Amino acid sequence: MADKIKLFVNGEEVEVEAGKNLIDAVGAVGIEIPHLCYHPALGADGNCRMCLVGIEDGRPPLVPACKTRAQEGMKVLLDAKHIKKIQRDVMELELINHPIDCPVCDQAGECKLQDYYMSYDQAESRMTVAPVKKNKKMDFGGGVVHDQERCIICGRCVRFLRQITKTGELGIINRTDVARVNIFPGRPINNRYGINVVDLCPVGAMTSSDFRFKQRVWFLKKALSVCHGCSKGCNLTIDHNKEKNKDDIIYRFRPRLNEQVNGYFICDEGRLSYKLENEDRLTTPKIGTVERDLTDVLASCKNEIEMSTNVTILLSPNASLEQMVAVKALAGKLNASISGFSDGYIITGDGDDYLIQDDKAANRKGLELLGIDTSQQGFEQAIAEADLLINFGNNLGLSYGADALKTLLTDTKTIACATHDSEYLAGAKLTIAVRSYSEYDGCVVNCDNILQKFNKAVTKNNELPTICEIAAEFGGPLTSPAEIFAELQQAAPALKPYQPATIPAEGLNLNDSEAANVTA
Amino acid sequence: MGAKVKTMERRGSTFIERIYLVEIFKGMARTLSHLLRNLKDNSKLYVRHYPEVQPEIPAGWRGRHRLTTHDDGTVKCVACFMCQTNCPADCISIEAGERHDDKAEKMPVSFNINLLECIYCGYCVEACPLDAIRMDTGIFSLTDNNRQAFIIGLDELLTTPGAYPEEDQKKGGA
Amino acid sequence: MSLLDIFMIAVRVAFSAFIPLCFIAVCVWMERRGAGFFQDRAGPNRAAIYGFRAAGLVQNAADGIKLFFKEDMISDHIKHKFFFVMAPFIVFFCAIISFAVVPFADTLVLGGRGYVMQGIPMDIGILWFLAVTGFSVYGIILAGWSSANKFGLLGSLRSAAQVISYEIPMGLALVSMLIVYGTVNLSEMAQYQGQLLFGFIPMWGAFLQPVSLMIFVIAAFAECNRTPFDLAEGESELVAGFHVEYSAMKFAVFFMGEYVAMFASSAIIITLFFGGYQIPFLNTQALITFAKPVAFFMMIGLPIGMYYFAGWIRRNNVSHYPRENDPRVTEANVYIKCFWGLVVIIELLLIGILICQSGGSAAHVFVALLQICTFLVKVTMMIFVYIWVRWTLPRFRYDQLQKLGWQMLLPLALLNIFITSAVVIALS
Repeated sequence: MADKIKLFVNGEEVEVEAGKNLIDAVGAVGIEIPHLCYHPALGADGNCRMCLVGIEDGRPPLVPACKTRAQEGMKVLLDAKHIKKIQRDVMELELINHPIDCPVCDQAGECKLQDYYMSYDQAESRMTVAPVKKNKKMDFGGGVVHDQERCIICGRCVRFLRQITKTGELGIINRTDVARVNIFPGRPINNRYGINVVDLCPVGAMTSSDFRFKQRVWFLKKALSVCHGCSKGCNLTIDHNKEKNKDDIIYRFRPRLNEQVNGYFICDEGRLSYKLENEDRLTTPKIGTVERDLTDVLASCKNEIEMSTNVTILLSPNASLEQMVAVKALAGKLNASISGFSDGYIITGDGDDYLIQDDKAANRKGLELLGIDTSQQGFEQAIAEADLLINFGNNLGLSYGADALKTLLTDTKTIACATHDSEYLAGAKLTIAVRSYSEYDGCVVNCDNILQKFNKAVTKNNELPTICEIAAEFGGPLTSPAEIFAELQQAAPALKPYQPATIPAEGLNLNDSEAANVTA
Repeated sequence: MGAKVKTMERRGSTFIERIYLVEIFKGMARTLSHLLRNLKDNSKLYVRHYPEVQPEIPAGWRGRHRLTTHDDGTVKCVACFMCQTNCPADCISIEAGERHDDKAEKMPVSFNINLLECIYCGYCVEACPLDAIRMDTGIFSLTDNNRQAFIIGLDELLTTPGAYPEEDQKKGGA
Repeated sequence: MSLLDIFMIAVRVAFSAFIPLCFIAVCVWMERRGAGFFQDRAGPNRAAIYGFRAAGLVQNAADGIKLFFKEDMISDHIKHKFFFVMAPFIVFFCAIISFAVVPFADTLVLGGRGYVMQGIPMDIGILWFLAVTGFSVYGIILAGWSSANKFGLLGSLRSAAQVISYEIPMGLALVSMLIVYGTVNLSEMAQYQGQLLFGFIPMWGAFLQPVSLMIFVIAAFAECNRTPFDLAEGESELVAGFHVEYSAMKFAVFFMGEYVAMFASSAIIITLFFGGYQIPFLNTQALITFAKPVAFFMMIGLPIGMYYFAGWIRRNNVSHYPRENDPRVTEANVYIKCFWGLVVIIELLLIGILICQSGGSAAHVFVALLQICTFLVKVTMMIFVYIWVRWTLPRFRYDQLQKLGWQMLLPLALLNIFITSAVVIALS
């Protein structure tokens, strides 16, 4: 824990962390200092002047809070008349040429300018001249659409592309009321983190072409989740909504702050992976290629399991720890060999040194944690002896070509639990549609050995079973979430002090806790 | 503007009133006078001969909705969802899309109002920032054979004209 | 038993069975149009056959047809289907047979034999009425209970408590009437009321026993479940009370039973207090003697009355809004022609009376018909009072209802008995 210092805000004493600037330090204890250009990840720029505060110790009368470090005994003035006037004046300046097209602006509802207008300004415009006309709906590429009229030239987007991605596609051209954010001619935004500028933009100047006009943000329900796009496990907010007479669907993923994992950002692939949760989903269980009731299919599955002599169970590296525990217990009961072979999920060379990883599976570390074999040799050996393969969500089509898969499974029947329709399912004897990760709660362990919890977001009209439920149906000994979690606590001692609801939001670093256990 | 309070005198405490019968006969005399008057000349009944005689609908009356248009006939609505957000009956469902003329960026691709769910509160009209939805069609009688017919879409909303001149609308139309 | 005997039995049974049924239509029509006019509106007057509205009577036919062809459903939750189906018929049947003892004309003498003009010529008279109307509440209780519905049960329990409370004052009010008349036979009561009090007032129960009249009428309202005592169905609190689960024709039977009961209790009130079939100042003997002058005056009076009636129809049966070739004017003309036709027929019959030998069978029949008409006119007026009260007074609260029954009507009725007895003993 960082050192604490005491300072005074509007005459009241507050205790804050040392070493931060005023906005962050005071913001952490719930006192808001309005700011537009400052972003914790991008540092202070000091161009918007919205965060000007007074310090009563002989300094200049006004200082930008973003550039001022919190110090012991500081007397910060926020609600004095002249500070309020500064805030109103800055708001008025920002709004001189702002088009106030909130009705058509996607940012409305989560717009800083809108919020600050309601909290700090609320004044009628005094402008009598026509506002400056600028370009609207400019395609910056990379899924970003720019509206120059709404822009307040805070430079967050420019700084993001210079400091974080280091690609620098954007720049601010000219000054005063002809200042514009723009790309260089013929060089659109072209990097794998570009859409983050949409989140960064405090106003509606940057909009995502993907989310554009899909929903108003106040309709969206929010759920905390973890991205399953790669083994990084970036923290997400899932924005979903069930419109009247329609199904609950996800409209966007937004990054959620987790200093341990992803910071403030996520990659574009991860952000757009919400589409996979809405599209091409497997919704009905099948026998062969015929769609049947779940009860019929489960009955046939149990029949197959009874008839078979040697069962192999294959787990998906995307499954949650709970599901892995439940399936592992099932394997023990059926005396089956279990494998987590999923080399096809790894795309070598795709990762970078920031967030994107080679391994596109969310929970491979979880397989290791539970001691489940992931080697190709182990899996092929097991399948050679087995006459029944129960595949819990592992897309074998990624690891094998169609022909190779066919030869591999010549003597083996397949029961496949899957979230999405894919080609490899064509060979399965029985197919069960199961829920995907936006539809259940669970834990995954990311590539840095950090265990993170994610919450159920979507409740479909037609609720599918989870893998845990299927495992219990097949005769697995673990039937309730409480039993599964107790078993999981055995496998991961770091989880012992926690309940599913009390796992910390920033995740549990298993490396730390192992070290702690050893020393203890 | 204070509310006008009229204090009513409490009655029923005198002996004559307490035996009821006199008061009952007084009441019956009153109703009988109405009956006899109406029997003698039924042209004085307080009834409107609907549907032959249609009521006069004042401009402030909230009838079926319509979407207003620009002078060139294009839709004024920019699909800001304010009406849908404010609708207490949840009867409006809008789908937004890109607009390619230079009137606005956004326009409704579909705009459905379920008239069976609508409670005619007029909040949508109040909420609209662009005066794009109004309830001034003067249509008060909605009848059809099936429920689906009561879900009206963009075409019907746009083609129904307003029933009042613009001056009446400014004085406080729906 | 001669052919005439059989014919007369058939006539009077038919009369006491069908007249209440016919009056259902009249009652409903009076109720609805009357309610309209009381409240300054028109009432149902749109239903028409080829443009003929018959002043709204067609609506009754339309409603009857509707109810007849509606799906007659019994909800699944109703276990006692037999009682459920039986209940409305108990109500209806009791209402019909309670009218059977009411005399609608004086004893008709034909060929030297007297025929009592009652559906069931019985000496117990008024006791029959009390017994049968008391029984009809079983129908309501059964309906509410077998509906297995809270509203229904509450309604029927209210009805039961109400009937118990009001049968007592009703019975006591009758006791003082019996002391006066000295008989329970309704025919004899009606004949008694043909006399004159002090030589110039008709000796009607109303003049002899005004307190008894008041108590009896109030209790009769309660017995019929009519406003202000309609707590059994109190739609504002109990939806529809005891008949909330009934639909189509079973509901219609309840509905008709209510109107028949209203008709029957009006008839009893008329017979007890308003001289029954007696025409004031003209008792049966006088009528038979003066048959020809009476017929003559009627011949003069009818066309004059018809003239004004025609004028009224012409004034009121028009559309009250601008309309070309108003069809209602032609409609009114047709009605007026029909009524004139009726007047002509009656005139011809009256001429027949004038021609016939005075004091003969024809005069007897004429007088009987005249008395029947008088009776029906009086009953209709009493029904009108029922309707009038309904559209004037609001419903009682339940505690008010019980308080009125037990704390006011009951002591008053007892007091009335004592005073009446004292007076009767003092006079005899």
